[in-house]
Amino acid sequence: MKATQFVGCIVLLVLSVVLVHADIAKPKTTPEPNKSLYTSLEIIPDAKTSEARLQIRQSSFNELRAALNAEPNNAAIASTITRSSTRTIIAGLLLFLSVSFGGVWFVRAFRSGQGLRRAEKIAAIGLIAVATFGAAALITRGNAGPPPAFRWRNLPTALAAGQSSGGPVLLEVVPDDPNSGIGIKLIIPLKKQKPNGEEE
Amino acid sequence: MQEAAELNLATLVVNEPVEQGRRIFVAALLICAIASAALAGLLPLQVSIVTVFLFAGPHNWFELRYFLMRLPVRFGKSRPFFMTAFIGVACLTVAYVSLPLLYQTTLWSYERSLVAIGLWNTWLLAWLSTLAFLRSKQKPRSDWSWVLPIAFALCAINWIAPALFSLALVYVHPLIALWFLDKHLQRNRPHWVAAYRRSLVLVPLIVGFLVWQLWGTHSLTEDNGLFWRITQHSGAELLPQVSSHLLVSVHLFLEMLHYFVWLLALPLLGPLVIGRKPHPNLLARFWEPVPIARHPRGFPKTVAFMLAIGAALVLLLWFGFSTDYATTRDIYFTVAMAHVIAEAPFLMKML
Repeated sequence: MKATQFVGCIVLLVLSVVLVHADIAKPKTTPEPNKSLYTSLEIIPDAKTSEARLQIRQSSFNELRAALNAEPNNAAIASTITRSSTRTIIAGLLLFLSVSFGGVWFVRAFRSGQGLRRAEKIAAIGLIAVATFGAAALITRGNAGPPPAFRWRNLPTALAAGQSSGGPVLLEVVPDDPNSGIGIKLIIPLKKQKPNGEEE
Repeated sequence: MQEAAELNLATLVVNEPVEQGRRIFVAALLICAIASAALAGLLPLQVSIVTVFLFAGPHNWFELRYFLMRLPVRFGKSRPFFMTAFIGVACLTVAYVSLPLLYQTTLWSYERSLVAIGLWNTWLLAWLSTLAFLRSKQKPRSDWSWVLPIAFALCAINWIAPALFSLALVYVHPLIALWFLDKHLQRNRPHWVAAYRRSLVLVPLIVGFLVWQLWGTHSLTEDNGLFWRITQHSGAELLPQVSSHLLVSVHLFLEMLHYFVWLLALPLLGPLVIGRKPHPNLLARFWEPVPIARHPRGFPKTVAFMLAIGAALVLLLWFGFSTDYATTRDIYFTVAMAHVIAEAPFLMKML
């Protein structure tokens, strides 16, 4: 029994090392400052206006300016998830404690002879389910949602009908191009459609 | 055979009002849930403003009265639990209120402010774990040791994304009222519990429906400071990929359920002890469910003073909303953290 537990612990430890790439050294390259902003764009055909206008919200503009200046005040979801080594270390230590105490509780509950009670079973199942789904979502990027191009597929139809259409957009600042006189470029992820409606 | 038929008839006659009451209760729950979802989905900003104006203060007053109902006349063996609870509520509230002041007076970077939020959340979780430990000592037959790994796991999640963890608290808090109602029904109307729990399935279904309907909608206009505050409170800045219409609607729906429980369900269901005839005197009927007020060794004046102060604060809140809604809303949601924290020990005491 003890040997099985020991082997189980070793396998768990090795698996965790492989999963978190704990044996890979931290890259020494300095990360490029983020010069892009994830936001949304709405294209509105307007017959009454005489010139094309590009409007940007003050908050989006501030976030873009912060991104250009490499200031960490962009509070988007990606930036709220830890990029700080201190917080990562604290989170790691707490996870270690959680798994350790959880393991002790699990073993104690089974050794007590009574097994797990209903509430404890529900808590254990819930914890395992959350961990499994969380890991699966992270690995498969299941939380990423549909690809950004999906929201733009109806743009030609909407424009033809004179209706507005919107979707996610990545606002980027690109280097100057001496061969082009265009100041702002909008690239829409549209695929050509076959006559039967399928995308190529 | 005839005796059996008479017995069945008698059972039916006895159960009829019980069954009718349960049906009315479940119907009221369903109507409130569906009406809340419809209003939250269609007019999120407008309904949010009206709802907070009308119900925020009164629901706090009713919560105070409920907590007073749950307080024993003498703490006895529960003294460490209640002392930890009260000190924790006071210290955590002061710390929470001082956070925005610290942001303004000191030049903290974004990372430092996240660390401050992370520390506060960790403190909250540590306090909750301590309360769970103290409560488990009062119930030696039950094993609460599973609380510790869960608390550590939550702490870890908090340190990975402190701001998102705080946002999760904003969304989870309204659901705690449903847990209170469940515990109340278990003691007050146990024959309603099964129907109530079945009707709770509607909550995730409605949330799912709101997500499905509002996922692709355009974000709400933030053309004034008030609308901006409402969307920020629902997490629009933290979740820019999600439509703020969806965020505000879901949060408002949960808030309305929360208000429904505290303002209607719990007061109408009456005191926890069932079977006692209501007192003919209205004032006595009001004090009756508050043991620390009606007990000979209780504190009726203190309770009356606290409830009077609470009522005055509700009036002051309404006055504040009438004169400067946006600022009062900011102040309210900061100070109201006290009632969010105070719910934990009283709920734990009912477990």
